[in-house]
Amino acid sequence: MRTCDSRVLLLLLLVAASREASAAEYFIQVRPLSRTMPDGQAVAMWGYALDEDHDFSTLDSPITAPGPQLTVPEGDTTLTVHLYNGLAVPTSLVIPGQVALMTPTWVEGSAVYVGQRPAGNVTARVRSFTHETAPGAVGVYSWTGLKPGTWLYQSGTHPAVQVQMGLYGAMVKASAAGEAYPGIPYARAVTLLFSEVDPVLHEAVASGTYGPGGAITSTIGYRPRYFLINGEPYSAAMGPLPVGRVGERILLRFLSAGQQTRVPVLLGAYLSLVAEGGSPLRYPSHQYSVPLPAGGTVDALLIPDTPGVLPLYDRRLGLTNGAATGGGMLRLLQVSP
Amino acid sequence: MRHVSPGGTAPWALALLLATGAAHAAIDGVSGPHFELIARDGFILTPDGNSIHAWGYGVAGGDMQYPGPTLIVNQGDVVTLHLVNELPVPVSLVFPGQAGVVATGGVPGLLAREAAPGGDVSYTFQAREPGTYLYHSGTRPELQVEMGLVGALIVRPATPGQAYAHPATAFDHEYLFLLTEMDPRIHEQVEQGRMDEVDLTDYRPVYWFINGRAAPDSMAPAGAPWLPNQPYDCMPMMHPGERILLRMIGAGRDAHPLHTHGNHAAVIARDARLLESAPGAGPDLAREHFTVTVAPGQTTDALFGWTGEKLGWDIYGHAAGDAPQPREYAPDHGKPFPVSLPNTQELLNGDFYSGSPFLGALGPLPPGQGTLNLEGGFFFMWHSHSEREMVNNDVFPGGMMTMLLIVPHGVEIP
Repeated sequence: MRTCDSRVLLLLLLVAASREASAAEYFIQVRPLSRTMPDGQAVAMWGYALDEDHDFSTLDSPITAPGPQLTVPEGDTTLTVHLYNGLAVPTSLVIPGQVALMTPTWVEGSAVYVGQRPAGNVTARVRSFTHETAPGAVGVYSWTGLKPGTWLYQSGTHPAVQVQMGLYGAMVKASAAGEAYPGIPYARAVTLLFSEVDPVLHEAVASGTYGPGGAITSTIGYRPRYFLINGEPYSAAMGPLPVGRVGERILLRFLSAGQQTRVPVLLGAYLSLVAEGGSPLRYPSHQYSVPLPAGGTVDALLIPDTPGVLPLYDRRLGLTNGAATGGGMLRLLQVSP
Repeated sequence: MRHVSPGGTAPWALALLLATGAAHAAIDGVSGPHFELIARDGFILTPDGNSIHAWGYGVAGGDMQYPGPTLIVNQGDVVTLHLVNELPVPVSLVFPGQAGVVATGGVPGLLAREAAPGGDVSYTFQAREPGTYLYHSGTRPELQVEMGLVGALIVRPATPGQAYAHPATAFDHEYLFLLTEMDPRIHEQVEQGRMDEVDLTDYRPVYWFINGRAAPDSMAPAGAPWLPNQPYDCMPMMHPGERILLRMIGAGRDAHPLHTHGNHAAVIARDARLLESAPGAGPDLAREHFTVTVAPGQTTDALFGWTGEKLGWDIYGHAAGDAPQPREYAPDHGKPFPVSLPNTQELLNGDFYSGSPFLGALGPLPPGQGTLNLEGGFFFMWHSHSEREMVNNDVFPGGMMTMLLIVPHGVEIP
């Protein structure tokens, strides 16, 4: 672990020196949080919080899952994230689909290898897709040559556990002002990030009984009981979600950080699917359904022709909070005149 | 034609088919634009002998059915539906893909206005665009879809024999593939009034259906009296060289990859919208798939053709100088069957072997063995490519499976 720390510190110093030059730069804390679901169930989660004063000395914004949306200005092609790890385990940050220098971290017993396994070693296993940030440390994650679109950022460390604990969020970048992708203008954008919670798994991870020899040894029995959009399951108390006005080109950014395929279905209007996984489609697909694989993103344009409420719901029927009906992955999209 | 004796299409088999095949090949359903519907409970049967309590829509005065009635309307129709609820819980209808649905009566619900138990509700909308759609309950949908409250809606374009306005969507015969699954534990809880135990996050289906039937019931006749609540079959039939339209609907909550043996299927539309590069271009973005995934809530239209191309032998057993059959695959005309058939007494045949490898021909069968394939047809299994779905509660074969039957020209397709 010592190799890893010194490497991160070096990177931190290098980036700190040029901090003012880059517009797309975020300071984020990784922290545990507790959420109460609409049925009263408390769920231990992990989340991200923006560090507003960039010094990581205090927690100065709420910890959320998903984490804050990271917006990269249209003219910028680089992103730097300074990550403070407030968890008891190492973590890291990756953005599938974007190019970065990846430094996998291998483990075998108490040995940790950064980058490569030693020559001849075929038994160490990858714990992190890229360099780790140790508990209490600050890591730096950088991307260059960023492509525009809708992207999922997430933990790159033990992802089967850390992502479902809540370590995910949206990264968005427009190709130009008011343009999602070249030739695809939009008036406003609405992010719809789908994820799931298996409270039993969360409890095992939070209480340290997850893993070899523990109460739960793997995620094979994953059984989500809460179905979230933007971190919140639907409940009767939730009002409609304003999305825009009649005639506007409303970009719906669909992301899935869950482990199961979701199929959002819109009632009352069609969508024009314009991109999948950050790649614009040559010919948009006109559908009312949006198949959304785990880890996937889809951009869809909604151009409503009448005001009113358009229900959007998961057709895989993750529509409960626990066993209770009337919840889950449902939003009532409000179109104003 | 060269036939293994006794030769020829069995005329008595032909006569049988002609006698029963009066109606032109079309999807069974009820025509609109006004529909009087009910929602009530009943039982559906599975081939392993199970009888499952279910909720379904039905035509007023009739019984519940699984799936609900296939509603058939014409493009431009103003569709009106009046739903009377005979279930002990509220129920409703939603129509993905339809704009401007107006609900009257009933009480407000989560996704749509609902009919209270004993009450009613009405919906109206204009069917603006042709295509394949579905409807389902918008009330507690995770339970009511599972219980059976789903169905198909077909909107026909002005031109008969086409799926959409474009001539490239013309078909000779059309078939519905409404795909669902069931976890009978949920149905038991509902039947026994143990509603407090219903938990759809613990969902493990063990039955898989096409048009509400699990194989081999999928191949039993439409309206079979022993399946009173499951009136729709799924037995695609075609002559060589014809094109059939597959209207596929993901009506359950899992995706089902439908695998067509015999040939690929060209997907021409999704969610009732043509895969086209520009409005009016026709399905120029259609792609061929050997497995068509139908996601829950989605509809997919595909065209399927079969000529025997690439088999490398003449499916009719022609000699080189024989006249060709209609739409025969010409390059293989007169090409001999590539293997020598073993002696009859050395064979153990399946029930569907006609005794001849050639289309429309019967041949000698071992003493005492008959055949169910009286027209000398070719059978291709179509099934979910998620092969664990080809069972009835763990018993193979069954589930989401049927057969495509290629029949010779001259045999009428019912």
